[in-house]
Amino acid sequence: MTTTSPLQIGRLLRSTTSGCVIGCRASELNLPVFGGMVRIPLADGTQIYGLIHNIQIDDDGLIRQLITSDNVPPDVLLDNRNNRNVPVEIGVIFIGYAENGSISHLLPPRPPLSLDEIFTCTAQEVISFTGSGRFGYLRHILRAEDLPQAELLAAHIRQAGMFHRAQGDPGWVQSITRELVTLLRDDYDRLMSVLSAVGDVNLP
Amino acid sequence: MMTINPENPTEKPVGYVVGGSLKDSLSVRLTVPPQEVKEGSFVVIESGDWRFYGTVTDLQLGSTNPRFADEQSETRLPPQVAALLHGQTLFTNLQVLPALMQEVGPDPASPEYDAWRAQHADDSGLQPQPVKTVPAHHALVRGARAEDVANIFGEPSERNFVIGFTREQNLPIPVDLEKFVQRSSGIFGATGTGKSFLTRLLLCGLIQYNKASALVFDMHNEYAYDDIASDTREVIPGLKSKFAARVRVVGLGNEASIRGQSPDFSLTLAESDILPEDIEMLTRELNLRETTPATLEALWHSFGRSWFSEFKKMRNGAMTEDPDTGKKVPAADSVAFWANQAGVNVMAAEGLHQKLTRVFNKPYILPNPPQDSLAEIINLLANGKHVILSFGDHETDLDYLLVTNLITRRIRDEWEKRTNAYRSHPQKNPEPRPLVVVIEEAHKLLNREMAAQTAFATIAREMRKYYVTLLIVDQRPSQIYDEVMSQLGTRVSAWLGDEADIAAVLSGLAGRDALRGMLARLQPKEEALLLGWGVSMPILVRSRRYDNRLFEEIRGGQPQARGAEDAIRELFGE
Repeated sequence: MTTTSPLQIGRLLRSTTSGCVIGCRASELNLPVFGGMVRIPLADGTQIYGLIHNIQIDDDGLIRQLITSDNVPPDVLLDNRNNRNVPVEIGVIFIGYAENGSISHLLPPRPPLSLDEIFTCTAQEVISFTGSGRFGYLRHILRAEDLPQAELLAAHIRQAGMFHRAQGDPGWVQSITRELVTLLRDDYDRLMSVLSAVGDVNLP
Repeated sequence: MMTINPENPTEKPVGYVVGGSLKDSLSVRLTVPPQEVKEGSFVVIESGDWRFYGTVTDLQLGSTNPRFADEQSETRLPPQVAALLHGQTLFTNLQVLPALMQEVGPDPASPEYDAWRAQHADDSGLQPQPVKTVPAHHALVRGARAEDVANIFGEPSERNFVIGFTREQNLPIPVDLEKFVQRSSGIFGATGTGKSFLTRLLLCGLIQYNKASALVFDMHNEYAYDDIASDTREVIPGLKSKFAARVRVVGLGNEASIRGQSPDFSLTLAESDILPEDIEMLTRELNLRETTPATLEALWHSFGRSWFSEFKKMRNGAMTEDPDTGKKVPAADSVAFWANQAGVNVMAAEGLHQKLTRVFNKPYILPNPPQDSLAEIINLLANGKHVILSFGDHETDLDYLLVTNLITRRIRDEWEKRTNAYRSHPQKNPEPRPLVVVIEEAHKLLNREMAAQTAFATIAREMRKYYVTLLIVDQRPSQIYDEVMSQLGTRVSAWLGDEADIAAVLSGLAGRDALRGMLARLQPKEEALLLGWGVSMPILVRSRRYDNRLFEEIRGGQPQARGAEDAIRELFGE
């Protein structure tokens, strides 16, 4: 994944006020990563920010047949990757938006529309979004109890922490960890699970 | 917002208020390592326009969830993550007993200050007052600064006599001697905790301030002349040695010798000074029967003021032969003869006579003493001298009870007379000089049985208006009659182990539950808790050293905080 310029990773399949599902081609699957931050520009200039929490690859009839065959020839494999007609589905949870250049950690006023383009965030976008305010966007992640919260947070902290450190702010990881402790200190089990995932983050 | 300390701009708050009540104490979440704040610390809470002053009475470990405390998360998490977790889920709470509050107004640099100042043109109403409300949640708490200590306890001076220093910052804590002598007070502590040093220290301040006379009943001959400390082997200066012009040493009995030195004069009692009530007070000491009051009453009726001499002269069991009948009958100078005549039970009279032999034989009770030394003592005290009555070789409880009570009774009468004269004709009669009577082993005189019979209980209760107060020095305050204890204004207490003693020292004080633990955990030496009338709020101090340097300081210099050399000497000896 490039971090200097935004890259399109797919288009919107369906959305709600709190999240959306993106469809992308299997050949483009090297771009989105679990926990990565994405941006969806709306027509009115609003930018919606989200975190990838799920990447789902569904099967279809052809794949079922191919799986049962003894041998999958390389050209068939390549053809399936490039031309398959069932997209890879990427689940995104919305964590905020930017309007007229000002970042908010609230949910976006309206969801994006079908076939809107989705881009990966650049390092600068990640730093700007996660460095503004006081980690209000953690609310959205901690509320979504059906998500693998600990792993998602660890992946996010790893990605964003790397960018912040490169930018000369090594204290960001400590700040977000402290905020997580504050938010979760009444829930021992959840906090320990999150902290043990965060503890496994080794910034390169 | 915490005010900035001009002397230490990097000063940080030690915590913030998280709860509590006026009745119990305030809970303060500590934001610095617990080692930086100790029990007994004097802290200041800044809450809006008000400042609250309090004492740390307890430190408690807490956790937001018991599991955070139970499980050693540092073994499961990387150190930096564990540190963040512990910082928020494991904490220390201080219990702060608030004592005083003071309106300080907005920051002088803020625009609101001028309007506030206009409403409070003079400083009346801006003095510290007993706490009547609680600070707001999250009000910041900081250690007391030198300016706070001076604001609350006063600047050291002759009147504000420094008795010790705060534990952490070594700031001088004075006692207001003017207030100290206005009510009876007490110095308590188990044996060996420095009671005598505290007493010497306070006497030293009183003598130097010289607004009240002191009469010290020195049962163990400690205060007058130089002594050697039993533990450090250092010379302890005597009050007579240091204040030769202001202090008179009186020895009990002729030929009294105090530590090899002759006293200024001797105290002898005239037999006519002893009243029946002085004997009744010795009921327990002499193991007297319940018939004693009736016998004494008859003696007084028969002989008046000379009853003691007459009774002493009688022969116990003396018989003579009746010239008419030839039978043995009581001799005319026998106890039985008098008893028969006075209509008193002979056995009771003879029993009393026998038991009073111990009193009859006291060498300091004379039929006709060469001078009225009691009047001399009263005269000295009234004229601004301080008197130390050393008991010399007469150190028994009997001597102590008899003599102290007799003198105190005379003093009480005299001061009552002088006060009444002054109140009737203030132009003609001088105002009586305030007098502090220092009694050691006070429980012997002020226990439940004796309190009603001795002059001391009256003094403790009501002699304040007659310019006489007590300074009680004792190791078993629980043995002192609670009616007396509850009247004590200022209390200085060194370490006490016994629960009942601790409860007695704190009786009648606000926040005694919170202070109880502090008393039990004082250092066994040279630490004391100051409470009550003479100090604005309860405070724990390291007591000032009583040595030659003290005298240099009170005669000109400023009190010096204890230095490293003192600490080394305390830890390892000389």
